[in-house]
Amino acid sequence: MSGAPAETVARLIPLLEPFNKTGAHLSAATRFTEDLNFDSLIVMEFVAAVEDAFDISVPLNILPDVATVGQLAAAIEKILGEEKS
Amino acid sequence: MADLFDRFAPLMAQRDALLGDGGINPFQVKMDELLSPTEAMIDGRRTILAGTNNYLGLTFSPEALKAAHEALEACGTGTTGSRVANGTYGSHKDLENTLAEFFGKEHAMVFSTGFLANLGILSTLMGPEDYILMDADCHASIYDGVRASQAQIIRFRHNDAADLEKRLARLEGKPGNKLIVIEGIYSMLGDKAPIAEIVAVKKKFTNVYLLSDEAHSLGVLGRYGRGLPEEAGVEDDVDFIVGTFSKSVGTVGGFCVSNHPHFDMLRLVCRAYVFTASLPPSVVVSAIANLKLIKQGGALRARLMRNAEHLHRGLSDLGLKLGSDVSSVIAVVAPDPQVAVAFWRGLIEAGVYVNLALPPATPFGYSLLRASLCAAHTEGQIEEIIAVFATVAARLGLIERPAAKRAAG
Ligand SMILES: Cc1ncc(COP(=O)(O)O)c(C=O)c1O
Repeated sequence: MSGAPAETVARLIPLLEPFNKTGAHLSAATRFTEDLNFDSLIVMEFVAAVEDAFDISVPLNILPDVATVGQLAAAIEKILGEEKS
Repeated sequence: MADLFDRFAPLMAQRDALLGDGGINPFQVKMDELLSPTEAMIDGRRTILAGTNNYLGLTFSPEALKAAHEALEACGTGTTGSRVANGTYGSHKDLENTLAEFFGKEHAMVFSTGFLANLGILSTLMGPEDYILMDADCHASIYDGVRASQAQIIRFRHNDAADLEKRLARLEGKPGNKLIVIEGIYSMLGDKAPIAEIVAVKKKFTNVYLLSDEAHSLGVLGRYGRGLPEEAGVEDDVDFIVGTFSKSVGTVGGFCVSNHPHFDMLRLVCRAYVFTASLPPSVVVSAIANLKLIKQGGALRARLMRNAEHLHRGLSDLGLKLGSDVSSVIAVVAPDPQVAVAFWRGLIEAGVYVNLALPPATPFGYSLLRASLCAAHTEGQIEEIIAVFATVAARLGLIERPAAKRAAG
């Protein structure tokens, strides 16, 4: 998942802002669990916000493989690509 | 040194902080003696049971007790085998016929628990090329079942048919079957699914099936107790109904009913059905006996709802925050887990048992004192439950001190 799409990362950061309780610096490298202390409930709320903003459904299946903001951006790109097809 | 249990370290720390002070452990309650469906001896105290999901109070029905005694004598204590080997007796078939007739469906399959029914049906029906659209507040057994299916799992917002529609629209044109999964009554807050709206959404798309888990609504809703689909008049539009015998039916076991012509195929491929022992015949005949009572149980349902209205009114009059409208499940929302534990201990020490439910097992991260009503609760018991809630809530500073009359009650 090299080269996280910068534009998508840039859209994700303001969505993440309200969930940033640790005051961590937000970038493609920010880790949800270690840096932001996300638990399963916060993940659910944040994913719902992302789904609304991008007008997509994020399957539960991909969440275990998404540890950083960059990885989430890449996953969103992939979903957007598939929904168009 | 690394230990197998290191992964639970944060949870263990949380547990110790919350429960480690030596008070009664809410997750290790022991019933020393059952006095009736609504009373037990706990910790040497006569305690009102207001959190047992025993909605109709049928755990001691004379009909089920008699049938169970006879089956025990005639068939022994267990089948020692799977349904597909030596574990199908006449009574297992009778129960499946009773269920099919009860629901007016062609096929019925009995599992050893409701958990296994969800796990088995969901993991087997759906495959990697399929899509499951599940309500976000579904039960753990549904989560485990859909994960095991390897289908794409898409959650929609709790009870939000418009959100479901948006998500189905995004999947249009994709190959693969789609299955919507909901519950009739959600177990934590007792709220009902907007099933008519969900059916309407389902009908706008092709290749979409609907499964409803009627665990908490079987016996509780509908003129004949068939649950939310009966109450809402949409039974023909629900493709699969899953349920359990561990609540209103008053015993243990699970089932799925359906009109799908190939439903019986599941008996060969559903691992949670094939690779586990069948229910003991005494349990099976108890379920048959109590399903008959449920069908004719209009009076029990009316009493259950009267009790629910009584408790809901009493608790909301106290100024407590409740999780939903009147329902057979009434959950009081506590401000945080610490207060919830203190609240729960206050109740049990005053002789009232309810469930303590904490996040992440709860919606909205709520900390809940979850009560469930029983048709067999008396008005006096409901009054006592309300009075005990009043005393404990006032002691914790959650409400104004109750009027003297009530505090003395
Ligand atoms: C919604 C729901 N589904 C399934 C189950 C599982 O039922 P059982 O106790 O038969 O395993 C429960 C209760 O535990 C439940 O609340």
